[in-house]
Amino acid sequence: MDPQPTGEIPRSPEVKPLVAFHDVSKWYGNVIGLNKLTLRIPPGVTGLLGPNGAGKSTLLQLATGQLYPSQGSVEVLGQKVWNNSSLNRQIGLCPEQDAFYEWMTGWDFVYTSARLAGMCRSDARDAAARTLESVGMTKARDRVVRGYSKGMRQRTKMAQSLVHDPQVLFLDEPLTGTDPVARRDLMDIIQRLAERGKSVLVSSHVLHEVQSLTSRIVLLNHGRLVAEGHVREIRDLIDKHAHQIVLVCDNYRKLAGRIIHWDDVEGVRILAGQSGLLVETRAPDAFYGRLPELSLSGDTPIREVYSDDDNLEAVFKYLVNK
Amino acid sequence: MLFRFESVTKTYGAVTALNNLTLAVPEGAVGLLGPNGSGKTTMIRSLLGLIPVDRGSGEILGLDFRHRQLDIRRQVGFAPEDECLFPRVVGVEFVGYAGELVGMLPKDAMQRAHEVLDYVGLGEARYRKVESYSTGMKQRLKLASAIVHDPRLLILDEPTNGMDPAGRDEIIELARDLSHNKGMSLLFSSHLLPDVEAVCDHVVVLGAGRLLTQGSIQEMKQEHNRWFEVRLKDDLAPYARRLAALGCSTECRDDLLRVQIPPERSTSVLWEVAAEQRKQIRYLRPQRSTLEEIFLKAVEEP
Amino acid sequence: MPIFDQGYQHWSGQLSGHAWRWLAITRHGVRTGMKIRIMRLFLFLAWMPALALVFTLCIWGLLERKSDLMAPIMQFLSFMRPEILADPRHYRVEIWTIAYDLFLMVELRVAMVLILLVGPNLISQDLRFNALPLYFSRPLRRIDYFLGKLGVIAVFLAMVIMAPALLGYFLGLLFSLDITILRDTFPLLLSTLAYGLLVSLSAGLLVLALSSLSRNTRYVILFWLGIWFVTGITSQMLQEVSREQRRHTVYADIARHQPAMMPRSSDPFEQMRRQREWQREWDRAEQKLQAADAAASKTDWRPLISYTGNLSRLGQQLLGTTKAWRVVIVLMPADQRESFLYDYTGPQYPWYWSAIVLAALFGCSAWILNRRVKSLDRLK
Repeated sequence: MDPQPTGEIPRSPEVKPLVAFHDVSKWYGNVIGLNKLTLRIPPGVTGLLGPNGAGKSTLLQLATGQLYPSQGSVEVLGQKVWNNSSLNRQIGLCPEQDAFYEWMTGWDFVYTSARLAGMCRSDARDAAARTLESVGMTKARDRVVRGYSKGMRQRTKMAQSLVHDPQVLFLDEPLTGTDPVARRDLMDIIQRLAERGKSVLVSSHVLHEVQSLTSRIVLLNHGRLVAEGHVREIRDLIDKHAHQIVLVCDNYRKLAGRIIHWDDVEGVRILAGQSGLLVETRAPDAFYGRLPELSLSGDTPIREVYSDDDNLEAVFKYLVNK
Repeated sequence: MLFRFESVTKTYGAVTALNNLTLAVPEGAVGLLGPNGSGKTTMIRSLLGLIPVDRGSGEILGLDFRHRQLDIRRQVGFAPEDECLFPRVVGVEFVGYAGELVGMLPKDAMQRAHEVLDYVGLGEARYRKVESYSTGMKQRLKLASAIVHDPRLLILDEPTNGMDPAGRDEIIELARDLSHNKGMSLLFSSHLLPDVEAVCDHVVVLGAGRLLTQGSIQEMKQEHNRWFEVRLKDDLAPYARRLAALGCSTECRDDLLRVQIPPERSTSVLWEVAAEQRKQIRYLRPQRSTLEEIFLKAVEEP
Repeated sequence: MPIFDQGYQHWSGQLSGHAWRWLAITRHGVRTGMKIRIMRLFLFLAWMPALALVFTLCIWGLLERKSDLMAPIMQFLSFMRPEILADPRHYRVEIWTIAYDLFLMVELRVAMVLILLVGPNLISQDLRFNALPLYFSRPLRRIDYFLGKLGVIAVFLAMVIMAPALLGYFLGLLFSLDITILRDTFPLLLSTLAYGLLVSLSAGLLVLALSSLSRNTRYVILFWLGIWFVTGITSQMLQEVSREQRRHTVYADIARHQPAMMPRSSDPFEQMRRQREWQREWDRAEQKLQAADAAASKTDWRPLISYTGNLSRLGQQLLGTTKAWRVVIVLMPADQRESFLYDYTGPQYPWYWSAIVLAALFGCSAWILNRRVKSLDRLK
């Protein structure tokens, strides 16, 4: 891998970052939480990934002003976060912990959150009604939180983070315990927010969910920034692991014979069950370029083409599990 | 036949958890899906004989679950969803205790506990107290205590909930191995559909206490008639326009193109246009429904 | 084949019938309890009264044999009546009974502390850590679970009540070298064991019920301390209040007759005579008071409030302590007998009142346990 030194990841200058970390380090006694993290998060959805203990919760707590960095500075919307209560009006947080006032109803909870954010009574009422409608909790909003299922609690948590229409949204494991129906609804909401120009940072362990939301990711491990950017770009930069591309063709052995002559092909494995080949190559661009000709000439028409490891799971595995 | 329900109904006051449920599930690795409140938990509990049902009958592994509860639980292992490990107990002691509770003699239980802990991959950690375990290790310990008595059926309730990707892979690997290679039937209840796909061959979908659909995953994901999904390296629009001009129906969404090839043409038309426009086809597969689509379709049917 | 499969192995062994399941739970509970360091220390201390009991019985055995070893110790036994020391064999049953009674009185307090150390966690921890599905997804019924947990308490109580009782009995037997002791005192041994069983069942089920009421062990400990101390203190206070009321009545009587507190007279002899008269009047009043207390205690409901009081009363009845004391106090002057008896044996209300109270508590505990530990037959 050809790692970039941290702090110099190329960014397109027009996109103004909504969340910016400058050389941030945080330790608790001797234990390191984050180590010299420099990061800029633009508008849109960004996934925050990393194994347990990588520093994701520390990052979220620093970004929302709950912790003060031991070194460096954290800025959101151009202002320092620490001790900046007016900035909280622009920030929404959906935490991982499940800590409600169990005696409140859903409506109470969201309405009070809106009022706490500084909205006047009528605005808060409208906003609460609207947000609860968008998360699908209108029917159950007058029931006490104690009687809610896990999915309903997650929806209410999400509602409370959105009700004051923040510019920046931090979501920590927002979809745990939700069934696929609720998951689809919540993912729709997140995507709509991103389309309106908000910045959403989603921290999650469930890679396929992050993948369906966005291709921009930030990957942490042991408190350090491992990778940042679009999944495909990152994949291209990982030299250590050759790209694995699957070709399905009826005449697969003949096809194998043809491509084994190419220089950039490092390995061909027969997948008899699928009647196809698993090709390993370090120059995917050149390889894909030659495929149409390969398919049309000779009698080896290619029925299917897909890359086995051009996805988030593969990237995660390659970068984290050393 | 793994288990069978016949017109089973169970109500809790005003709420009907199971509504005239009838289904028959074959042996093997079975996934149990359903939205919240669909009766999955109630179904699992009635399978284990933990709750009495109001009406109906059924059997699991050939035993009637209304009468032979103790025999059923000898042959079934259950790993519950919530954390169930109590503190100040060492890993191997915990698994041994779980075995003794099934009726194993203490010596057998201890021998078997070590064997099973080897299998799930808890090496030296088994001699440490369970409070010091990470989430992944705790899940594996739970799994170990569920299989210590070598059950014929293993029921896993949300085993990968809240785990990081490495841990999740381990559990999926273990579940797959047990159900496919070691002859143990598996009932895998989860909301994470890719996990269910990775482990199970057969799937049962419940909704509002009834059976919505069931079947083998492969069969349910049939190919859509001559529809293909295509992704290119660069801009899709000119490519799509050319294909439309040649008579194919096209649908574009983000970077995904769905094409239906008319009967008089073959898939080579995709390659021809690509060669013509010097595009790289990076993804070409016949369209098949994902498990998520199957699920959402089943749930939203009136 | 040379390479052996390291993967999952199947197991086909014997599974015991579920009647023995409680043993696994008890074993585990006892192991967990013994891990607590305070518990081990306390068990060690709990054997002090046991040693005292053993010592007493051995001394009595030596006394009966009129052994030479007794010579240097005789001076320490001067607090006992000479008739008893002269004919120890005759008073054997009574002395043994009283010794066991004192031992059990101490060990009851010890048992309450032991239950405090090991009891509250038993079910409360399982509730807190959601371990109930772990238990009930296995082939055991709720009754096996409860018996297993009760067994933990029974084992610990057996260690401090029944084991010392047995040990003391056999050593006492040995030291007196007289087989007729067996015939005389065997019922005593049985009663002690029965008492141990009674305490285990009653206190055990009570602490299990309390433990199932809350997930937080601290609250359960407070409940238990409440049952032990608060009921005891309340009962004592109520008895004191009624005693004060009696005292007021009796002394009010006296006050009506005596015109002044301290009669004054010019003549010193007259003064002394009147003082003596006045003193005798007070002494008679005190005696009347004590007799009234002793009589009132026979129908007093207030001692029923104290939980340990109920247990002691039943223990007394089982062992026949009152009878033993009656035999001994025959040797005392008549006027002191009743008050002495009352001081040493406590309120003598009918024993079946205590039995009813304990039975009611037992039923209550069983009902609470039944409701709190439902085998998962609920919606969530």
